[in-house]
Amino acid sequence: MKKTVFFLAMILASATPICSAQESPFFVTYTHHMEEPGNLEVETSTTTGIPRSGQRFYMAPYLELEYGVTAQWTSELYLESSSVWGDSTVFTGWRFENRYKPLRREHWINPVLYLEYENVNEASRIQKEIEGGGPDLTSSNRELRGEHAHELESKLILSSDFRDWNISENFIVTKNLSEAEGVEFGYAFGITRPLARLASSGDCRLCRENFIAGVEMYGGLGSTLGFTPHGSAHYIAPVVSWAMTDNSSLRFSTGFGLTDQSNPVLIRFGYSYELAGFASRVSRLFGGKR
Amino acid sequence: MKFSPCLLTFVAGASLCGFGQNPSYQLDPQWRAPAAATVRPNPLADKPEAAAGGKKLFLRHCAECHGNEGSGLTKKHSADLRLAIVQEQSDGTFFWKITNGNTGKGMPSFSKLPELQRWQLVLFIRTLKEAGSASADPAR
Repeated sequence: MKKTVFFLAMILASATPICSAQESPFFVTYTHHMEEPGNLEVETSTTTGIPRSGQRFYMAPYLELEYGVTAQWTSELYLESSSVWGDSTVFTGWRFENRYKPLRREHWINPVLYLEYENVNEASRIQKEIEGGGPDLTSSNRELRGEHAHELESKLILSSDFRDWNISENFIVTKNLSEAEGVEFGYAFGITRPLARLASSGDCRLCRENFIAGVEMYGGLGSTLGFTPHGSAHYIAPVVSWAMTDNSSLRFSTGFGLTDQSNPVLIRFGYSYELAGFASRVSRLFGGKR
Repeated sequence: MKFSPCLLTFVAGASLCGFGQNPSYQLDPQWRAPAAATVRPNPLADKPEAAAGGKKLFLRHCAECHGNEGSGLTKKHSADLRLAIVQEQSDGTFFWKITNGNTGKGMPSFSKLPELQRWQLVLFIRTLKEAGSASADPAR
């Protein structure tokens, strides 16, 4: 055990401190920008729901490990949990996703294919995406944690860079393999722009070039049993990211619920740390040449 | 057997300079900018002071594979940016290559950077030519 901890510490300590950590500020919408190959990004985020009448206050923290397999393929593993005020804290499951960018060059619109397997229970509230009618915000964890969902989720990500603006649209299709809920649909789209276009020569941290701001909108579109945006959660959320250091960044978003099925306010906060050249360092640790 | 500190320093220096860089780098014939992209002028060409910001960006985004001096790394198959065959390319070609990457060969796209920052990188890469010509092998 001590050896394992030592090895992990060595990997972290030997990680190149200089790498790009300028993150897209989106929490839900994906762009076509992939993780750099061989880099590992460790991110911890929290979704906090401010309740309306009949709903419960909750916090849903999750850990995200994002790895650049190649310049066109990124994999991510999520571990998630949920704490409901006056109720309990539970582990709500894990997700494994892959994003693949089929085109090698940049185009005016860049497609990315996304496939995710989710092994979560119904107490999941991280809301990395909203599909169907959205999450159950009124029942207790005790009632929801027994209901497991094995889901396959796919997304078509379309993303464009135009004069420093990024405009992205995601179309979500989810199939719960555990229950006959039909096929559920969702959407997310957003727009961002860096606050400064030129990099200054100095090593400033609070200057505008380290901030990206924008807005995203996301929600559910029902299912094959009833394709409609009504009766689902929808949010509009200003977003901002700040590159605190060359390898870490903070993201923040305040989402405003647009329907009765939404929380009135959804606060998201994320911190990410990027380990550049992670693959080659692990490989060398075990005698590889990569 | 004892080694003098000077010898150790020389060996360490030679290792870093000789084995890390990639002087045998050849351009990828499949990775060619379209004609329209190659003739794009650098909008910061008359602002050489912007190269300092380009250096900062280079150290953040590029140095991991190209080295702090732009000499490239053999194990990453990354370009020695000081080489004449690299520097002969136009500003527009550099900009296009930074924007699109060569994803099949491991070079990621940096289209996430604002356009002007990518042009700042081009400005800085041009300064490597001068730095490289002072120290590099003239026969190269």
